[in-house]
Amino acid sequence: MNEVLPLSEAHDTSLFGSKAVGLGEATRAGLSVPPGIALSGTLVEAVASGEEVAVARLVQLAENLSLPLAVRSSAVDEDGAEASFAGQHLTLLNVPSPAELPSAVRDIWWSANSDSAITYRQRVGLFTRPSVGVVVQSLLNPDVAGVMFTQNPVTGADERVIEGSWGLGEAVVNGTVIPDHFRMDRAGRVLERIPGLKRVAIRALPNGGTVEEPVPAEDVERFCLDDLQLEKLSQLALRCEQVYGPARDIEWAIADGTVYLLQCRAVTRTGR
Amino acid sequence: MVGAPIELLQRVPLFQGLDRGELEQVARLFKERHFSQGETVVMEGSGGAAFFVIASGEAMVAVGAAERPALKAGDYFGEIALIDQGSRSATVTAASDLLCYGLTFWEFRPLVEGSGVIAWKLLESLAKKLRSAQAD
Repeated sequence: MNEVLPLSEAHDTSLFGSKAVGLGEATRAGLSVPPGIALSGTLVEAVASGEEVAVARLVQLAENLSLPLAVRSSAVDEDGAEASFAGQHLTLLNVPSPAELPSAVRDIWWSANSDSAITYRQRVGLFTRPSVGVVVQSLLNPDVAGVMFTQNPVTGADERVIEGSWGLGEAVVNGTVIPDHFRMDRAGRVLERIPGLKRVAIRALPNGGTVEEPVPAEDVERFCLDDLQLEKLSQLALRCEQVYGPARDIEWAIADGTVYLLQCRAVTRTGR
Repeated sequence: MVGAPIELLQRVPLFQGLDRGELEQVARLFKERHFSQGETVVMEGSGGAAFFVIASGEAMVAVGAAERPALKAGDYFGEIALIDQGSRSATVTAASDLLCYGLTFWEFRPLVEGSGVIAWKLLESLAKKLRSAQAD
């Protein structure tokens, strides 16, 4: 169906993809998720084709979101697709206004239909027409962001593993920095802290796009998370397990003292 | 506007011979795609996802180390990998900012299967490329 809905109303993974529905579930469960909308795969296709009605619906609903916007893919095809296609599909941060959304959505559609994405699909035996939903959210301007595993992805141990750095979480996800590394037990006790080398922070630019900004020398090896923030992340891990189940791979950000959930998916591999 | 401009497709040899109604149907299948100057559009040896018609700008073509004639508005490329689902036979790089309209395999195949006119033009084009390759 040709739909665009507030994230909280996204229920059907076969329409909106697992990322959108996962965030919708989190929103309904009361977790802090940046406000956003979910576009069905067919709406994305229609917007990419330039269909005026679809474009108008998208722009109209996006006008309620505070700017700038983050635009991410939400693979519709099959279970675990988000993990499978991580790195194949495009994410566009800091889209300055709803007017620029159709172009951003088209770029994401093409990323799912790129030579590299199709080659990957052929290799894993998925040579079928890709369908990609899209999530559009208000982009946070976080002080710190990163990833968290509710179960150690290397050893399989029942402990939280957190990696964080200054600014947008893409610095951690893309490997731009060596992030700070923390291990915590289920009760929230810190088991280990290893400082990273966080020489840059990815920040949003005023007119769209992002920039790698140098981090002040005194912050490069200073821990980006204090005990209170670690405790809040521990609570987020617990809530995510209650909502989604065990062994979660979480992307988070902290802005103005609030811990936000950006993405939550199943850990695809553990050391066990 | 939905799809590619009719005026563009009228200039593409592959679609010459189609009437206005047929061209309108074909045009709707295309999606716009931009490439920045210097961007690799397709890479020789990689799998192929789409067929492109150039609307504006120029693209450089290379097969191995050998340069081939540049592509410009009205030219098309990318059809070979879609026909045999094999790898790209050339590398195409945007020589300037490039505006293209593309069809993926899932639109391209039914289009060719459904139009004898397009299929014949495609055969002519492939025969020309084969002769050119034999002459090299």
